[in-house]
Amino acid sequence: MSADGKPQFIQPPNHVKDKVSVTSNGIDLDTLEKAEQLIAGMQDSYLEWVDEDLRKLQALEAQLDGAAAPRVQVFKDIFSIAHDVKGQGGSFDYPLMTMIGNHLCRYIERLGDAEPSDKNVEVVKVHIAALRLVIGQRMSGDGGKMGDNLIRGLEAAINKTTAAK
Amino acid sequence: MSGYNLERLNFLVVDDNKHMRALVKTILHALGSKNVHEAADGADAFKELRHFPADIIICDWNMSPLDGLDFVRLVRTGKDSPNPFVPIVMLTGHTEMHRVIEARDAGVHEFLAKPISAKGLYSRLRSIIEKPRPFVRAGMYFGPDRRRRQIDWKGTERRKAMLEAKRAAAEAPPEEAGGLSQAEVEALLGG
Repeated sequence: MSADGKPQFIQPPNHVKDKVSVTSNGIDLDTLEKAEQLIAGMQDSYLEWVDEDLRKLQALEAQLDGAAAPRVQVFKDIFSIAHDVKGQGGSFDYPLMTMIGNHLCRYIERLGDAEPSDKNVEVVKVHIAALRLVIGQRMSGDGGKMGDNLIRGLEAAINKTTAAK
Repeated sequence: MSGYNLERLNFLVVDDNKHMRALVKTILHALGSKNVHEAADGADAFKELRHFPADIIICDWNMSPLDGLDFVRLVRTGKDSPNPFVPIVMLTGHTEMHRVIEARDAGVHEFLAKPISAKGLYSRLRSIIEKPRPFVRAGMYFGPDRRRRQIDWKGTERRKAMLEAKRAAAEAPPEEAGGLSQAEVEALLGG
């Protein structure tokens, strides 16, 4: 802020402009298309990465059945992994992973810091099972009718527990 | 066909998820970038900036111990910040409206919703190249001018954009509930 209390505008040095030029081998539609294809080619790697996340989710799910850790903490850990799953699926043509991950994150978020009930645990487990199913069945794209049924089923599970509160 | 050549730009990718870092790096390399450094959290990234003159930072939000937002604040207003003006693209799955506003008010240039694509990332980079913004120091804020439209400020624009974004969010399909789409984020930020 300037001495008179008014907002101060500063023109910063533009290093980006200085270093970027327009060249014949610069980025065009073809480059972008090739970059998208490169990401598509990483699908096998993605399946390995997500498998790692699913294993972590499975381990956390097992903790929900015991009394080793407070459920609310386990839910936070599940949220963190589901958030990663949500952020990656769509990039590799697994939008269902993004959708289910999003559903799971929003569900856990709505519960806040309250200790989760058995019903809440059930809903979370159903989501984790759905994530496993999508990868197990390689349901890329929208997953067709099966994908549609899966999302509807999850929504129904959430609505049921919300209504039962 | 000609286009932007990003070969000489230095990128710093900050994400605690190594797979996301790999994805962003792959895209940047496919777009012709040669110099891409990585950091796993905000504290690491700040250290990296001391010896790596990044021209653009692509940064995740959820990281520990120093998250993306704290990192952005540190870069913008830290007394020992190596480059308070460096353009920052916030890359995150947190697309709720209050989060977007929070990121903007911390001083990010661009906001890119996950899951990302090459086209999505390039569009944010283009925006940085084509629409450089002055920096503003106003009250507690220091960062790129948050009013991005090239028209006179009329006082009600921001509210209008927020209302549009709210309306768009309300009309979004159920699977998008709780988050804004990239287009809605852009409407909200006035881009």
